[in-house]
Amino acid sequence: MATEETPQKTPKQKKPAAAKASKPAITPGAPLTKVMKALEYISAGDYTARVDVRGLEPDAAAVAELLNRAMDRVSAEQRVAAARRDEMRHMLEAAQGALSALVTRGDLTTFQWSPVDDAVIDPLLDGFSRVIETLRVFVREINEAALRLSSSANEVLAASTQHESSSTEQAAAIHETTATMEELKHASAQIAENAGAVARVAEETLNSARSGRGAIGEFIQAMQQIRADGLAVSESITKLLRRVERIGTVVEVIDEIADRSDLLALNAALEGSRAGEAGKGFSIVAAEMRRLAENVLDSTKEIKNLITEIREATAAAASAADASRQATEQGERLGSVAAGAVEGILAGVQETSDAARVINLATQQQRTATEQVVASMGEIEDVTRQTTSASKQATSAAAELTQLASRLSELIRRFKAD
Amino acid sequence: MTLADPTLKEALENAPARARPDVVRPDAEYFVFRIDSLLMGVASEQVREVTRLSALTALPRVPSFVLGVAGHRGEVFPLIDLLRFLGQGESRTSPRTRIFVAQTQGAVVGFVADEVIGLTRVFVDQKLPPPAATGPNSEFIDGVVNSREDGSMTLLNIGRIMQSARARVVSR
Repeated sequence: MATEETPQKTPKQKKPAAAKASKPAITPGAPLTKVMKALEYISAGDYTARVDVRGLEPDAAAVAELLNRAMDRVSAEQRVAAARRDEMRHMLEAAQGALSALVTRGDLTTFQWSPVDDAVIDPLLDGFSRVIETLRVFVREINEAALRLSSSANEVLAASTQHESSSTEQAAAIHETTATMEELKHASAQIAENAGAVARVAEETLNSARSGRGAIGEFIQAMQQIRADGLAVSESITKLLRRVERIGTVVEVIDEIADRSDLLALNAALEGSRAGEAGKGFSIVAAEMRRLAENVLDSTKEIKNLITEIREATAAAASAADASRQATEQGERLGSVAAGAVEGILAGVQETSDAARVINLATQQQRTATEQVVASMGEIEDVTRQTTSASKQATSAAAELTQLASRLSELIRRFKAD
Repeated sequence: MTLADPTLKEALENAPARARPDVVRPDAEYFVFRIDSLLMGVASEQVREVTRLSALTALPRVPSFVLGVAGHRGEVFPLIDLLRFLGQGESRTSPRTRIFVAQTQGAVVGFVADEVIGLTRVFVDQKLPPPAATGPNSEFIDGVVNSREDGSMTLLNIGRIMQSARARVVSR
């Protein structure tokens, strides 16, 4: 019945409330009617219904007064409960709004709450608030971390870019170094070859100088021999001069004899002539003798000329021998000087030869070392190439990381924590 | 003594075994000598001998053509320079200088010659009169012979020269 009545009355609730003011007017005069009417309203749920005590009998008025007071209390209780309900709804709406702001805008700042003295709602709101607070802390920390990550990623990118460029430079430098080492290898090979050639030439020079030393020794001996021969020649020339002088005196004697013979023959001819016809033959013989003597004189003149020539020639030969002696002495001196010089040359060439051999050896070692260096440089180049590709990868990774960091920053910026 | 010289041998072979009188052409033998570049001849019978220039003693107050006196085989005779005598310059003496001793009419005089050529036979028809330009010396010249090989040879009259020289020395 109640259920049938309530829906009938609920829509009428406003009407009774509205009609309540007019109702007491309907029911004046009846002592309990007014109370009953009020109770009817009350039981129908209208807690605002009061009994007009004016005009009532004292008993009825006391009941009505009590009823009115009870209903005032109920109304007050009802008002308090409504106020609490409103506050609770308000809080829940705020939580809802905050959730909505979080979901739609990422805003975590909008939720403010205060306890509503409800054993169920308060922990819920408290939990929600804690969640929000935790999220805010998270967002703040993530934001900070994202900023740091971004800057770190930038630094990493910069470092890695720098590393990449420096490793590229290093690769170039290594390449250049390798090329230089190759050149050095070639150069040292060239040096080795040249040093070898120098050593060979020095060897040849050494042999030449040795034979030169021998030749100079022979030259000096020859000079000494020539000087000795020259002395012998000088002696011979002196002897020859003495002989020639002797021949001269002999020729003088012959000359004298021939002259006298000439005179004798002449006088004999004169004697023959004086003897007349008888002496004619004698005269002829004498004339022939004269001619003979003249021939002898001519011959002696020739001999004298020859002797003069021989004297001149021997004088020339003597001076030539003297000059030759001086020349040979000079030659000997020069020969000893040359011998000394050749000794110096020998020593120098020996040193040169040794030095060239040492250079050759050193350059060979250098070549080996250079080859090793070249090989090492090749390995280093490989490693550097790997490093370069690795640093390129690192750079791209760092770039990606930077992008990710900025993306993360962007994402986290959507949340408003402060 | 061996005769090595072929010319001497030849001369000996060509020498006539004995003297043959020259009937075809009359001739005279001359003693030919040279002073400086002058070739002169003197009749050979007037030349006694030829010597070399030995120690010469100068004489004072004599004409310049008298070189001095010389001694030979214990004999002393004056020595005359024919060039000076004839006014043809003066001769120079050397170790080869010859002196020929001329003797005429008991007088002995030595003459200086640079060289004695020897005895030469001169055919009379070869003799030419002395040239007109010889002047005061013409009295001392018998004639001139032109031979092909020796050039012109003056034939001197040594007797007249000796006479004239003595006269000039004395007149001094």
